[in-house]
Amino acid sequence: MTSTFEQVQAIASDIFGVPAGKISADSSPETVENWDSMQHLNLVLAIEEKFGVQLAPEDIEQMKTIGAAATLVEKRLQSPAR
Amino acid sequence: MPIVIQPYRPEHEPAVAEFNQRLRQAGQDENTVFYRSAEPRWLPRTSNSRIYNEFFVAIDNGLDGTKVRGGYALKTQDFLFPDGQVRSIAYYHHPLSEGIVNKAHAVVGTLLLRDAMQRAPLLYCLGMGGYDRPLPQMLIRLGWAHCLVPFFFRVLNPTRFLRQMQTLRESARRTIVMDLAAVTGLGWAGSKLFQTYRALTAPSATRAETDSVATFDENAQLLWDRARQACSFTAVRDREALQVLYPPSEAHLTRIEIKRGGSAIGWAVVGERRKDAKYGNLRVGSVVDCWALPGEFLPVVRAATETLKRHGFDLILTNQSHQDWGSAFKAAGYLSAPSNFLFAASKKLAELLAPFDETRVRMHLTRADGDGLPRNF
Repeated sequence: MTSTFEQVQAIASDIFGVPAGKISADSSPETVENWDSMQHLNLVLAIEEKFGVQLAPEDIEQMKTIGAAATLVEKRLQSPAR
Repeated sequence: MPIVIQPYRPEHEPAVAEFNQRLRQAGQDENTVFYRSAEPRWLPRTSNSRIYNEFFVAIDNGLDGTKVRGGYALKTQDFLFPDGQVRSIAYYHHPLSEGIVNKAHAVVGTLLLRDAMQRAPLLYCLGMGGYDRPLPQMLIRLGWAHCLVPFFFRVLNPTRFLRQMQTLRESARRTIVMDLAAVTGLGWAGSKLFQTYRALTAPSATRAETDSVATFDENAQLLWDRARQACSFTAVRDREALQVLYPPSEAHLTRIEIKRGGSAIGWAVVGERRKDAKYGNLRVGSVVDCWALPGEFLPVVRAATETLKRHGFDLILTNQSHQDWGSAFKAAGYLSAPSNFLFAASKKLAELLAPFDETRVRMHLTRADGDGLPRNF
């Protein structure tokens, strides 16, 4: 079964145009060349669509690494944002 | 500590100044700055105002102290909707994120927009500089409805226009052709021929009088009441709104009222556009805003054009979304050109404008509905 992290990793790979193997939990805008404001929005929207969750502004702010994004998704799957 | 977005207060001003400084140090031009003062100079909020600006800032309370990482402005204003209701909606403008110079803050742009959408679900954007810019791309990705607001221009001084237009002078060959046209008078002759053709083919209108007014009075209210049904979607342009938007203190704007037989048939606001390198030393005027009874658009456009002509402008620019206003500008000798002035409506707003493709042709949006009044239209 594919883990949440692997699914977020696959989304990020698709959005940033980087092989999944090069995206780690620590990958961030500072280490991924194509991770700019526009692609951050694309990442947020793709995650919301894939997992059927709604991310609050405070969630979006925490998504500074791929690992943080995956952790957040797991949190939101258990307890949806208000 | 997370980034929080808060109303911009005077105690944030030093952090905003530092934010602006960081942008400048990173090579952004001097106009890419957030508002230095927490109190809007244009349309500040008062206890009874229906049109007002508010600023918000993204505060980062990190280990190195409180920093501002971005900000945006909302202009709130009443609009008339296709269902005949008037609703207060907001215009999202001047979003600025430190993400443009430091990717560590790439998250801020999304945060700003999401915050604005939460504060004002009926949200729109206008202008933005074209579909290739980041903000329109974000809005489209978010599923906003969007369209271009057509652009019209009229050359009043062809000789100076041909010599000065930087965007038309990019290639050496074109520069020589344009200089020749300017020197030999070919440009002037061509322009006059075109204006004459348009004048001959335009519908004739009985004579109308133009008065310059210090402020809009009860005639403006009458015109609003009688003409509002011609628009599917428009900012409320009643007397109260016009007095807030175009007060006598804005001396660089000229307000004109157009009458026939002593009865008001329309009004317009005209003025000088801000300096822009691409227009060289041309004096560029703008039909900032206009309103008229149905069937009386052309005399209002002609009156606005004549006013700008008398003021010595070389070129007039305007953006008009309503198809009948567009037709009137063309009939008055204006040419249309590709527009980079976009209108985008949030999903919630677009629901109230559905079907958008039908609504948009009768929307009345002008430069006045953007962020620039009074200085940047």
